Amino acid sequence: MPDTVSININGVAHDVEAGQRLIVAAESVGEVIPRFCHHDKLEPVGKCRMCLVEVEGPRGKVLMPSCTLLVSDGMVVDTESAVVKKAQEGVLEFLLINHPLDCPICDKGGECPLQDQTMQWGPGESRFVEAKRNFEKPIPVSDVVLLDRERCVLCDRCVRAADDIAGDPLLTFIDRGNHVQIQTFPNEPFSSYFSGNTVQLCPVGALTSVDYRFKARPWDLGHTRSVSFVDTVHSSVDAQTSRGKLVRVYGIENDRVNEGWLSDKDRFIFSAVHSPDRVTAPLVRGDDGFEEASWSDAMALVASRLGGYLGGEVGAIGGANNTNEEAYTLAKFMRSVVGSSNLDAQLGDGLNPHLAATVTPRATIDDLDRAATIFVWGPDLKETLPVLYLRVRKAVRNGATLVVASPAGTGLDAIAAHVVRYRAGSGSDVLRKFASGDKGYEGAREALDAGPVVGLVGRSSLAEDPMMAEAAAGVVRSLPDSKLLTLLTRANIYGALDMGLAPNLLPGRVSTADDEHAEMLEDAWGHLPRGTGRSTTQMLEDLASGAMRAMVLVGADPVRDCPDPGLAQRALEAAEFVVAFDAFVTDSSIHADVILPAAVWGEVSGTATNLEGRVQEVNASVRPAGQARSLNAALDDIAHLMGVDLRAAKVADVTREIAAVAPAYAGITPDHLTFESDGDGVIVPLEGEQPLKFIPVEVSVPVVTSRLTLHFPDALYDDGVWNRNAPTIAGLARQAEARLHPRDASMLPVHEGDIVSIEERFVMPVTLDDTVPVGSIVVPRNVVGTKGLTASTSVKVEAVEGGA
Amino acid sequence: MTWISDLLGPFKGFAVTMRQVGKPRVTRKYPQEKRVKPPRFHGRHVLNRYEDGMEKCIGCELCAGVCPANCIYVRGADNPPDNPVSPGERYGFVYEINMLRCIYCAMCVEACPTEAITMTHLFEMSVTSKEDAIYTKDELLVDPDGTPNHPQAESPLIDVKELRLGDGWMRATSSAGRAEYEGVVAWTPQARNPDLPVEAGQSAESTGGDDG
Amino acid sequence: MTDRILTVRMEAHPSDSHTIDRYVKTGGYKALRKALKKMKPEAVAAEVNASNIRGRGGAGFPMGVKWGFLGAAEPRYLVVNCDESEPGTFNDRQLVERDPHQLLEGIAISSYALGISRAFIYVRGEYARGARRLQRAIDEAKEAGYLGEDILSSGFSLDVTIHLGGGAYICGEETALLNSLEGRRGEPRLKPPFPAIAGLYAKPTIVNNVESISNVPWITLNGGLAYADIGPDRSAGTKMLSISGHINKPGNHEIVMGMTWRELIYDIGGGIRDGNELKAWIPGGASSPWFVPDKHLDTRVELDEVGANGSMIGAGAVVVMDETTNVVAAAHSIVRFFAHESCGQCTPCREGTSWMEDILARIMDGRGRPEDIDLLMDVSDNISPGLSWPPAMTTICPLGPSATAPVASIVRYFRDEIEAMMPNKEAANA
Repeated sequence: MPDTVSININGVAHDVEAGQRLIVAAESVGEVIPRFCHHDKLEPVGKCRMCLVEVEGPRGKVLMPSCTLLVSDGMVVDTESAVVKKAQEGVLEFLLINHPLDCPICDKGGECPLQDQTMQWGPGESRFVEAKRNFEKPIPVSDVVLLDRERCVLCDRCVRAADDIAGDPLLTFIDRGNHVQIQTFPNEPFSSYFSGNTVQLCPVGALTSVDYRFKARPWDLGHTRSVSFVDTVHSSVDAQTSRGKLVRVYGIENDRVNEGWLSDKDRFIFSAVHSPDRVTAPLVRGDDGFEEASWSDAMALVASRLGGYLGGEVGAIGGANNTNEEAYTLAKFMRSVVGSSNLDAQLGDGLNPHLAATVTPRATIDDLDRAATIFVWGPDLKETLPVLYLRVRKAVRNGATLVVASPAGTGLDAIAAHVVRYRAGSGSDVLRKFASGDKGYEGAREALDAGPVVGLVGRSSLAEDPMMAEAAAGVVRSLPDSKLLTLLTRANIYGALDMGLAPNLLPGRVSTADDEHAEMLEDAWGHLPRGTGRSTTQMLEDLASGAMRAMVLVGADPVRDCPDPGLAQRALEAAEFVVAFDAFVTDSSIHADVILPAAVWGEVSGTATNLEGRVQEVNASVRPAGQARSLNAALDDIAHLMGVDLRAAKVADVTREIAAVAPAYAGITPDHLTFESDGDGVIVPLEGEQPLKFIPVEVSVPVVTSRLTLHFPDALYDDGVWNRNAPTIAGLARQAEARLHPRDASMLPVHEGDIVSIEERFVMPVTLDDTVPVGSIVVPRNVVGTKGLTASTSVKVEAVEGGA
Repeated sequence: MTWISDLLGPFKGFAVTMRQVGKPRVTRKYPQEKRVKPPRFHGRHVLNRYEDGMEKCIGCELCAGVCPANCIYVRGADNPPDNPVSPGERYGFVYEINMLRCIYCAMCVEACPTEAITMTHLFEMSVTSKEDAIYTKDELLVDPDGTPNHPQAESPLIDVKELRLGDGWMRATSSAGRAEYEGVVAWTPQARNPDLPVEAGQSAESTGGDDG
Repeated sequence: MTDRILTVRMEAHPSDSHTIDRYVKTGGYKALRKALKKMKPEAVAAEVNASNIRGRGGAGFPMGVKWGFLGAAEPRYLVVNCDESEPGTFNDRQLVERDPHQLLEGIAISSYALGISRAFIYVRGEYARGARRLQRAIDEAKEAGYLGEDILSSGFSLDVTIHLGGGAYICGEETALLNSLEGRRGEPRLKPPFPAIAGLYAKPTIVNNVESISNVPWITLNGGLAYADIGPDRSAGTKMLSISGHINKPGNHEIVMGMTWRELIYDIGGGIRDGNELKAWIPGGASSPWFVPDKHLDTRVELDEVGANGSMIGAGAVVVMDETTNVVAAAHSIVRFFAHESCGQCTPCREGTSWMEDILARIMDGRGRPEDIDLLMDVSDNISPGLSWPPAMTTICPLGPSATAPVASIVRYFRDEIEAMMPNKEAANA
């Protein structure tokens, strides 16, 4: 229970939490004080002067800004006196004299704090008859954000958000007095991964987004709360629609997850939902390529072909971009109808499913706020889990010590107290030294011994052995007072694993080796093959060799995403029958015999589970494109054709079935999520212990020795099918580049900007970077120009003659 | 005696007619002849232009927002910089009114910040299919010379001049909504022009722009 | 009794008062020697406290009290404010150009008293000559052992750095100055925390004006009580006044406070030019409300009395205006200055000052309206509620409220003149 102080507002005594700003305390007891520069998540600056209130002091009542004033016991505040009223009207008049009042065409018009507060607290009319301040309008400050300086009230919110929250100090004030304006630095656009947040924060229409420009007005927007499927943080979003189309995504303040912040990818990728390249009708391979077919014909074909194989000859890859209900239906369909345990939602790019789904002790995202030390061993959070990156930044800003280990520079290095840099492939060596308290890592080791520690552990790149993360998790677990979060990045992969889309997991975080539970599940499902199935890599190998014959691809693109794209290509070409549930014709689904149009994020409802195990509702905001259908509805029909009733036509039925048969999800019914929790989602299991506990131990991972080892990290804006189909951010996709230490470059020999070839096939320019350890090369994965590059641990690099 | 009254029966019926013969007629030879409508009659809408031919509509959707019958559909778009449709950044890219739903309340006219949409005296809007009752921007927008567009402009029965009669009513609703403001510019139309006279305020206290 | 402290040397030796030779020959660095050899730091601070000297930068806060607030955290800094930008002031300029060693000795003694080993002098960008002379003086003093490591073998070390400002008036506000010194935008900071607790680089910092610090050698040498004996009780010591405007003897005059304004303007200042009538004067720089002969000529030049009369001595800029002055133009000129120099942080100051500038410009152009006078007063009131003295503020720093001073003054004393500038309505309508 926090300390309280007693304050008197407008003659009424209130007990409020001590240590708060007056404006926050007043709001908590229902006295709203108008504000522009104040924002709960930003440091106070006291610039707009809108929140002036009268506070009694030793020299009588004095006007004070309530956003900078801390409450103290016995404080007497007047928010409604004549003096306050006049000050509020004065400030609003001042703000409006140079405001262009182009509200009718302003994207903020209708949801504008300046409009609203003028209505409530404003003077009613202006006495200003002079000429207004003029600026060119609007000017692009980045590829996604426009700036209209005439509308700006100079509240400093965007500058603080970019600077303090995102760590990208790219906006600033220039000039002074009446000529002050927000600007970017010369030749440095506001190219932040978090620039969209400033659009949402802006209390006027000064910062607007390029993709929402003139698209709709606030009063014709429909609002749907959902979660972002860009990464596994599952930021709470408000998906906003107009006339049946998604037009904007805003962050919702879910303080346990994203605190209202979103990455630009979270915010702008929705336009891919309405891409003209969506598959909108079932496609069946005919003599001249794909031909449109009816759902009934396509499903009959799928049912008859899948029914013609032995269970083990069929496998399913994918399901990570789907809701829990869809993933569960897929698992049930494959296991009980097709009779196969060959299921994998990961594409060989992830971790041991036991580690990801059931690691113990598991941290929550807000444990970061309570951690004394945060240890990151894995991918660059800024590129892969940007909102988690913001949470780590916040924790560090509030005093946590950050230790980062990675094979190349990451976005967190700048605020890390200790950076452990290791050559790609030699992580095991470094980890051993690190764990044993080797002299070189003393400072970092000391920080880790001071708990509580939250370890964020993942696979730094596809070229790294997945066992490396287990080894690191083992080290973290050996620390006193430590908790772990694993770092898988793909959409609802944690939900998919929890639903049993892994060769060694059954729904509800149960091992396939748990016979007792398997028996129970067999009773519920009617049929359940026992034992462990094949992983994605094994399935692709077996398909290529003919040991397996058919494949179900569910929103998965192994040709781009699995470590060995060549193998995936061969496997899909060799397969007798491939059915793809997909929204696009991808590099993988182009090999399918049948493509069934899948409804995607924004079109389906259900639940999803994030990296901390939080289950939140996912809600549809628009109708599926064309004839697209949700996976559970389609599989239910196909199962019917195969003579089985999956009972999966209705999402709510599936949610209830999950709550009944998946031990970790006991009690997670639609009613519970909607009515019994606070709407910010719940951590599973609700009560009791994890059904399966994975205790990571320190393991030894072989060290790779070759001349140049590969670090192959993911980029936020990659060349994936979703990014390519979202026009707003498609142009931001990273280009291939090879980052090398200058010493390695001099041996090739190449200079900055020269062209090198990798594995004799991929050519790209060289960037010299001394944060890259000697003996390794950094190439971004799945960006423009690296499609198809195998994530092997070492690569052959050669200078290209006359390339530059 | 019933046969007499039976005989007179048909003539009794004419008594009503006879009584009216000498009185002035109340019917019109519509459509050749039309009744004079009151000045504030709410007929169908037009979208106006400025004198230089620019469209007044900026696509702000305020009319659609305020419409109680939800019969207006507007979408805005960026003005092409080299060939702008309307002054400023935004123009009405789509503008449709479903005349079957419209209740002719003129809230759209009141909401319009640029006086782009006004009502005329035209009321003849019979259509042969429901789709035709949705007036699109092409039909609503006046011609570049200011001539209102009419679907049957060539018909001799149509008095196109009537289209323009909405104007005076529109003026009366401008500014503070008071008729004495007709013709008074009550805001600063151009920024940074030192030669402009100081304009009058819009409140009830300040009375008119007599400073010029 | 001493009637001058700061300007004795420069008057006696106009050609070389800025050199170390002349300084030492005329008794310079004796105070530093005395402090370092014979006094404990606390004793020096006690003398300054006993002197009752009030800060000469404008606010008039007792210097000894300010020193007492200095936080204990290390390192601590001394920052000397030589960003003298108030229109009408030029006394610091004379002090740094003509007697830089006096300032340096004061810095050394103050730093010793406060346990500071790093001092900064923030010099207004336009004072290139002053900065050059200060730098040469620092070099000379270092060479002679009065600055640098182990000063006069006492174990006390002090490093003094000169920083040239970029030419912003607001950087004379102490927290804006600290921001500027740190390389940030010159914008006043929120207070609390005050600089004495968290100032430069968030460390305890004392910010003092050039004139205040220049008095420290004399106080150390002659004792705080001797200083307190000079002039009236609450306005101890001498004050350098920069007198300018329509006066016969403009320039810096070091005076003992307590005389009347009549004596200052007609005796020390030599009267009004061309025998004209005095119309008004600004007692303490552009930001202070004006004084007029009818009411204030026989009041005294004392910090508290000027304050009681609704104005301030401030940094000591007396601007005299004779009967030929167009008060609207004068006020416009001052308001334009503040509008130009506003940092732009706070809405009332940013928007209000430039609005007032526009209104005044319009009145000067003959396009005023009768209601403009009330409008000006109301806009002023919205920046400085009540237009009282000392000013209430709706802003972070007093710059905005300062801009209301000339407006309120002309409306208070010269309303009929402003009204006379409004266009004749009947004539306009005809």
